[in-house]
Amino acid sequence: MNQTSRDRRRPLPSSLFAALLYVVMFVIYSINAPSAITLLGITDLLNNTIVLAIAAAGLTLVILAAELDLSSVGVIAVSNVIVATVSTKIPAGPFVSLLLVCSVGLLVGLINGWLVAFLGLQSLACTLGTMIMCQGVALVILDAPGGEVAAFIMNRLTDTVFGIIPVAGVILAAVVSGWLLLRRTRLGIAIYAVGTDAVASHLTGINVKRTKLGVFGLAGIAYGLAGYMLSAQTGTGDPRVSNSFLLYVFAAVAIGGTSLGGGRGGVIGGVIGAGILTVMQKLLFAVGVADFYTNIFSGLIMVVAILFGNLSAILTLRQRVPLIRRPNREYSVH
Amino acid sequence: MSSLGPILQATNVHKRYGATVALDEVSFSLYPGEVCGLLGENGAGKSTLVKILSGIVVPDAGQIVIDGRAYRPHNIIEARARGVSTAFQELSLIPTLSVAANLFLPRPKVNVIGLVTMRAIEEETETMLKEYGVSGVSPSTLVGDLSLGLRQRIEIVRAMLCRPRLLLLDEPTAAIADREWLFSLIDSFLAGGTAILYITHRLDEVRRLCKRCVILRNGKKVLDAALEGITDDQIFTNMAGRSVVEAYPVRESNIDEFAPPVLAAHQLSAAGVNDITFDLRRGEILGIAALEGQGQSSLFRALAGLERLKAGSIEVNGKPVRLRSPHTARDAGIVLVPEERKSEGIFNDLSTAANISIPIINQAARFNFIQTGKERQIVERAAALVDLNNRFLRPNINALSGGNQQKTILARSLLANAKCLLLFDPTRGVDVGTKHIIYQVIRNFAREGGAVFFFSTELDELVHLCDRSLVMYRNTIVAEVRKEELTPHLLLSLAAGHKIDADGTT
Repeated sequence: MNQTSRDRRRPLPSSLFAALLYVVMFVIYSINAPSAITLLGITDLLNNTIVLAIAAAGLTLVILAAELDLSSVGVIAVSNVIVATVSTKIPAGPFVSLLLVCSVGLLVGLINGWLVAFLGLQSLACTLGTMIMCQGVALVILDAPGGEVAAFIMNRLTDTVFGIIPVAGVILAAVVSGWLLLRRTRLGIAIYAVGTDAVASHLTGINVKRTKLGVFGLAGIAYGLAGYMLSAQTGTGDPRVSNSFLLYVFAAVAIGGTSLGGGRGGVIGGVIGAGILTVMQKLLFAVGVADFYTNIFSGLIMVVAILFGNLSAILTLRQRVPLIRRPNREYSVH
Repeated sequence: MSSLGPILQATNVHKRYGATVALDEVSFSLYPGEVCGLLGENGAGKSTLVKILSGIVVPDAGQIVIDGRAYRPHNIIEARARGVSTAFQELSLIPTLSVAANLFLPRPKVNVIGLVTMRAIEEETETMLKEYGVSGVSPSTLVGDLSLGLRQRIEIVRAMLCRPRLLLLDEPTAAIADREWLFSLIDSFLAGGTAILYITHRLDEVRRLCKRCVILRNGKKVLDAALEGITDDQIFTNMAGRSVVEAYPVRESNIDEFAPPVLAAHQLSAAGVNDITFDLRRGEILGIAALEGQGQSSLFRALAGLERLKAGSIEVNGKPVRLRSPHTARDAGIVLVPEERKSEGIFNDLSTAANISIPIINQAARFNFIQTGKERQIVERAAALVDLNNRFLRPNINALSGGNQQKTILARSLLANAKCLLLFDPTRGVDVGTKHIIYQVIRNFAREGGAVFFFSTELDELVHLCDRSLVMYRNTIVAEVRKEELTPHLLLSLAAGHKIDADGTT
């Protein structure tokens, strides 16, 4: 009766090629730096990956819903200075400051979500605003690098569990499992639906506004967590520490095969993307590329990585002729 | 009992958008177990009424009562809670989600920890699809991989799944060639006491399904009567405000038998089509009849340069050509009027004039700067060919009705210096008046030596407009019917895969 459903292949997982690329890069890296495959080396690599990975996980949610979010670096900066000023000063500092940074992240995320979903503002513009605002707040809390992160945070979170499993690995596993669960909830399905076609989602009865509010909120919490983990790495507060970070977060998401147009991709890709960017820097260092060439190579690798990351999407799409079908409809959401 | 009273009673429903009144004091009722046709040209207010009843738009004034209680929904969920569900003309499916997920949106079943139970949903979908007579679809297929016709079926099934008190079907057969499927579903549905509001442009469907119809014109209700005893002409008159005397004027064939064919395919195969061979000559209108998903979209795409050929060849004016892109096709004089008007046909954020002038904008430019005066001249000349009023040229094309958008696309195709038009269901979802203009455009184009390759889901159009018609079934051409033998019945049975006996009966 119809030919349509049979002769078209199922799409490949969008993060497949990124994962392959990661393996290749890791192998090359460990050949050049044998210490990489020791427990210490792996722990170190994961510690270096986790901040970017958690931030990329958060950003992926927003991008899946076809919005953009620049506020990550702002939230990370605020979280970092909060941890550096609070965690040693109050009882149960590590836990209270964790709670605090998650709340701050959630708050910023909800503000973003409210501006975007309920006021209908462009996400790129208003998250740029909240990002700058957060960076300002970070400077107010701590006007120069300094402060002190509780030893508990620094030691425990960068160490291993039972001496065999890196804590950062456990946290990453938790993030990924959280995503695997989220993906199967109603919210998870709604995120993909809204990112694919907000108008159709509205017509099916999905609450588009609340879904967008949800992704910004979740992303905010992820950024707060990323800031907390950053503090564990650096051990100190620096209101400008994350300034160079923003584009890497976006690059990680893109390398992971998540479409910037929304509706396609996933958090696992973003995490792998963060891993690729981290191992890339280590690899260049291990191979002994001179400092001033590093940027050229890292830029090059990034482009190749993005190409790889999108291979699955390209291969799947080749069979469908109208490459982009974004139906435009007359019903409006707002 | 409530079974005798109306399910829905709308009184003086009023809605305006800015200065334009979309619905002007419309009142009507719907009774249990009835199908009421809602007719009107594009822009008559039908879709506004659908949006209001579906909960997408809140009316400015007026009361709506359902089952004796006031009804004022603010979203689809509230409407559904009161038993109102809608199959939208624009299809509200999410292409990146599976058929199963789409059917159960927005609230698919979850287990105790809030996870959607995909497998259970897919199993349920399997039985649902079987129950509703939709075959050839696996529940895990992504909706984006389905043909438009199948998507429309899924949309309809989803609206019916929640067993509504009031079912709104907005142009439900726009992409479905096998309409009996829907008709029998509707018949079985009515037994449950549901009221159905059936929005369509097709009079034969109204005659087949409805006992009563409501006609809107310019936002006002102009007729609300039993269909028995009113003639087609009265209906047209009420819809258009003028009489449509003659549906399909007689047309002299003007085929140039001597020149090489404008477009010829020889044993052409591509993704979704196999072994297609035909000739299309100057002045000829060649029809394609097919049920949905029989390869006609792939064939059109291949001819427009959108699909890579696996085998076979295409000749233009007797010379073999390789159509690598729509651009090379256009250079060869082949222009496609695509299937999905909104996503493939129009440039959504441009003015109507810019939508028309895009392919020939160089002609209106000097030193690469566009001369607006010259552009306007060209555009107005093209607009006149398709009877598009000049006042529509300046606004953004979004603001135009479907019919006027289609006229715009035709005007653009004519301007592009087409020798051969590939028309994929050009009258889908357009009003009666526009349809006749489109017929006129097609005929004029052929009379002046153009060649037309014409697929339509309305078999009547093929019968009355075409010089001959091909029939596609399972991705290939199974029959060719000459003008003298063209009847809707014959085309339908061929398209459904029936073999025809020597005397032409099935």
